[in-house]
Amino acid sequence: MAVAGAIGVVAFREPIRSVLSLVLVMLALAVLFLLLSAQFVFVVQIIVYAGAVMVLFLFVIALFGPTRELARTRLRFQSWLSALFVLAFLGLVWTMVQGIKYRQPDQGTDLSVFGTVQSIAVGLFTTYLYPFELTSILLLVAAIGAIYLSRKKIDDL
Amino acid sequence: MSGLSIGGSQIDASWFLILAAILFIIGTAGVLVRRNPLVILICIELMLNAANLTLVVFSLQLHNLEGQLFALMSMTVAAAEAVVGLAILVDIFHVRDVEDIDELSEMKG
Repeated sequence: MAVAGAIGVVAFREPIRSVLSLVLVMLALAVLFLLLSAQFVFVVQIIVYAGAVMVLFLFVIALFGPTRELARTRLRFQSWLSALFVLAFLGLVWTMVQGIKYRQPDQGTDLSVFGTVQSIAVGLFTTYLYPFELTSILLLVAAIGAIYLSRKKIDDL
Repeated sequence: MSGLSIGGSQIDASWFLILAAILFIIGTAGVLVRRNPLVILICIELMLNAANLTLVVFSLQLHNLEGQLFALMSMTVAAAEAVVGLAILVDIFHVRDVEDIDELSEMKG
């Protein structure tokens, strides 16, 4: 299902259908996260990705109307080149996955609380407090940048 | 050996990795083939999601929570990237309609 949605992302000509296919991929991946006992990541995936980021994409598309992608007349060789590259890359990753030797899992981890909000929070606010604060600064910078980029246009009007 | 116990049944971790690889490669193909800048941003999101899937899979495989924490970090970075990328796109679209990413070649040296 995730693969079907992903092919839809690339194959559809209208951007809006790509976005809706991506929502399908996000939801399928969210279910996989839940299966992999990553409950908090599951919730964040649904809220942040399938919710916020996709709504952002939809707003931008709605703002500028549907644009169909034209049939490409030039750069035909580019599709062949990328097909070649993609096949080589697929073979490479496939070989890597076949050759993985898995390490034995760490002993003594309580799997009944693995991935819950509490265990995530303990890791996030003790060991990884510094990267966590760095991401908050990153989000602040991104917000300021987005506001600045959209403010400039209003001054011009 | 590499089985993950999921809901009482054992599933090989390689299947998740292969799924993530396929998603990542579809995203790569999208970036390479598609010409609409918006769709290219969407495909980048797809690739980031595939990377997140591998992080979570290895997190469960190694019984180590750091993978999930790093997946959360990369989600944050992806959200910030999407916001800034879309803001730049909106800015460009205000000036003119761009249907082909190759039209945006003024900055090449």
